[in-house]
Amino acid sequence: MRWVIIATLPGLATMTFFFGLGVISNVLLAAAFGLGFEALILRLRQRPLHPALNDASAVLTGVLLGASLPPASPWWLIGVGMLAAIVVAKQLYGGLGHNPFNPAMVGYALLLVSFPTYMTLWSSPQPLWPDALWSQITGSVSLEQIDSLSGATPLDAFKHKGDGLSASQFWASQPLPSGTLNAWQWIAIAWLAGGSLLLAKRIISWHIPASMLSSMLVIATLLYLFDPSHFASPLLHLLTGAAIFGAFFIATDPVSAATSQRGKLIYGAGIGVLVMLIRTWGGYPDAVAFAVLLMNLCVPLLDLYTIPRPAGAQPAADKERS
Amino acid sequence: MARTFEFHGGVLPPERKQRSLVPLRYAELPKRVVLRLDQHAGRPATATVAVGDTVKVGTPVAQRDGMISANIHASISGQVTHVDTHAITIDGDKTDTWQRLAPIDWRNALPDQLITRLEQSGVVGLGGAGFPTHIKARVSERQRIDTLVVNAAECEPYITADDLTLQHYAADVLEGAQLLASLCGAHHIMVGIEDNKPDAILALRQAMADSQLLTVTLSVIATRYPSGGERQLIKTLLNRDVPNQGLPADVGVLCHNPGTLLAALRSVRDGEPLVERLVTLTGDAITDPGNRWVRIGTPMAALLNEAGLNRAALHQLIQGGPMMGTPLPNLDGSVTKATNCLIAATIDELPPTPPESPCIRCGACEDVCPANLLPQQLHWYARASDDEKLASHRLFDCIECNACGYVCPSHIPLVDDYRSAKSRLRHQQLETAKAEHAKHRFEWRQARLAREQAQKQARRQARLSKQRSSQDADSPAASPQADLRSLRIAQTAAKAAVRKAEKNLARAAQQDPQQAHDDLETQLATAQENLQAAEARLAEARETSEPKETL
Repeated sequence: MRWVIIATLPGLATMTFFFGLGVISNVLLAAAFGLGFEALILRLRQRPLHPALNDASAVLTGVLLGASLPPASPWWLIGVGMLAAIVVAKQLYGGLGHNPFNPAMVGYALLLVSFPTYMTLWSSPQPLWPDALWSQITGSVSLEQIDSLSGATPLDAFKHKGDGLSASQFWASQPLPSGTLNAWQWIAIAWLAGGSLLLAKRIISWHIPASMLSSMLVIATLLYLFDPSHFASPLLHLLTGAAIFGAFFIATDPVSAATSQRGKLIYGAGIGVLVMLIRTWGGYPDAVAFAVLLMNLCVPLLDLYTIPRPAGAQPAADKERS
Repeated sequence: MARTFEFHGGVLPPERKQRSLVPLRYAELPKRVVLRLDQHAGRPATATVAVGDTVKVGTPVAQRDGMISANIHASISGQVTHVDTHAITIDGDKTDTWQRLAPIDWRNALPDQLITRLEQSGVVGLGGAGFPTHIKARVSERQRIDTLVVNAAECEPYITADDLTLQHYAADVLEGAQLLASLCGAHHIMVGIEDNKPDAILALRQAMADSQLLTVTLSVIATRYPSGGERQLIKTLLNRDVPNQGLPADVGVLCHNPGTLLAALRSVRDGEPLVERLVTLTGDAITDPGNRWVRIGTPMAALLNEAGLNRAALHQLIQGGPMMGTPLPNLDGSVTKATNCLIAATIDELPPTPPESPCIRCGACEDVCPANLLPQQLHWYARASDDEKLASHRLFDCIECNACGYVCPSHIPLVDDYRSAKSRLRHQQLETAKAEHAKHRFEWRQARLAREQAQKQARRQARLSKQRSSQDADSPAASPQADLRSLRIAQTAAKAAVRKAEKNLARAAQQDPQQAHDDLETQLATAQENLQAAEARLAEARETSEPKETL
């Protein structure tokens, strides 16, 4: 798990470069909440603290949730998210290895549903030392701040462009603060670099990222070919949302993912399909969290139906030969 | 060179074979040997000597008990000083006088003669399982075998016993393969060897240049643990899948280890019973590693001391390889027929496994499982004692190679879980089988008693009527004839029952050499007794009826 944390560094660094230190403070705060909640619950469950805190899984959940939230989010928002992630999604199910749902995504989904205003406060690219850092500590965001901050993510802006506007008109109107699109693409590439490190270290297998990204690519390409004026381009889908981050860092969480290789392929493809469905026809601009949670639900079924053929098992062998 | 195929999974643990790859030597003659009676698969042998008896090297000291069991011979000359139900102790007289059996020219011998010799000599599989070789040789009575595989893969780290056997005795090993192949009717011999043994491969090539009775193919396979697993090797060499509830014989293959072939040849050609074997002594805690010819029963402490054991540095003593071997609690044991390797490891060499953490379902175990199972699912179900799921996830297909435990990032002792789950399930099966068996036995006894009662009644009736009729005239002896026929039928049925029981037992024991098969042994013994009784009755009936017939 330490390697996963190390692999998030390129992504975090790039995000910090574009959105300021609010990213780092998010991550640190979330990791601290994570350790605190884990310790508290372990104490209540009368379990030894050391091995569980030392495995860095709570820190990782914090890093992943912190990176998903708008930079310099209010402290209580992060706290609520981590409470849902560590206490509810992880420890109440029995701790590491027993949680059916991805903890970071449970936290994220809860926040997205409960506090939509705060969760969509993605600023336009910022200097390294943003004003918003202060509001993280006070925990309140004033209305004018909301106005000045309220940059939308590219996917968000595109989704709400309105039916009357065609894609080319939309982009011509310069809907986003300058540099936004560029920033998101660089961040996606940085996550890809971190993900490649995980692949190279054999910490994750290629199955889930490959099947998730390729299913997204196929659907996005088909839609784009069908009507390029209304559907976003495949590149926008892959490079500006949480697709890359989700494919390498969220969906590959082994605890809540399918286990057999065939199961992983189906699981990843399912996430890709759901992301595209929700992005295109659902109510949210991005959907990695919901897609992952929905596929988490399918994991027991996937595991049941994708048991590989043991060496020497007869009936399947006959089928193969014929 | 023959084409090879791939099996699923596998790992590449550090080989550490170099240390013991030094010329072969003979270990010092031990002053005392302790011959364990349970050193082979199946039932322990029964001691046939008493304290005070004088024995030579090769004198039988214990007799096999039941079908799956093996004879044991004195491995030094001297005097028996202790006998109990577990072991026989012999104190040596340093003369090393031998008692050999008559050599047999196997090319011109009858199969029965060869099988009897293997059985007499106590030859068992020397790869580790210790399965009696004469039982394996008899498989052709039931199944057609086309290929004999010489399993020289030796994929476990550290062990080099097969490697050295082939380097020094390649021609003898191949002759032993010819012997056992012709015995089981195979027409093809395949030698599977990992590519990390160049010297052994060279020796084999040279030996193969001599003319051979049967065609021999040498297959050099990629080094990947557990390529030496029977199923994995058969898949790699022949691309045949051994059915998961079956045996290699089901796909026409028999596997033998080079050491076993050498021992089989020596027992036949030289009349030498199995009294010594090659043992790899290795590990960083000994200064003089290497392979030695060791007499069976040599105390481990003496053997390791001779190899320069540093007791202070010794952290763990392992019998077998580091992947599948058994850690030994102390140095008090003695070498058995199954001891292929002793690793005296230091703490740096094989550090203790870190404490277990929870399974995070990473699936690394699944990628390496050579049986293509889902080890982490099995782990959950084993811990939860979910027997149905264990069965549907094919727990019993696990070959316990420990590749999963080797790669597990949470350091979970997976194979320990599987072993305990297996033994729990086996115990359950055994209990049900026992109950069933007892029921059958009871019903059978009731039926027999009723039948005997009826027969007695009938005989009395017949006697009475005969007494009455003999006063009139001599009647034709029709009833003895009918009696004879029914007795003959009974004898044939009893013979068939014995054959069936033998077959069942041989199969079960080969599938599970580590397990006791007492119930099946009992069934076989019962069947044999029935057969004897039937034969005795038949002989008796013949005697009584013959005079009348000749009259």
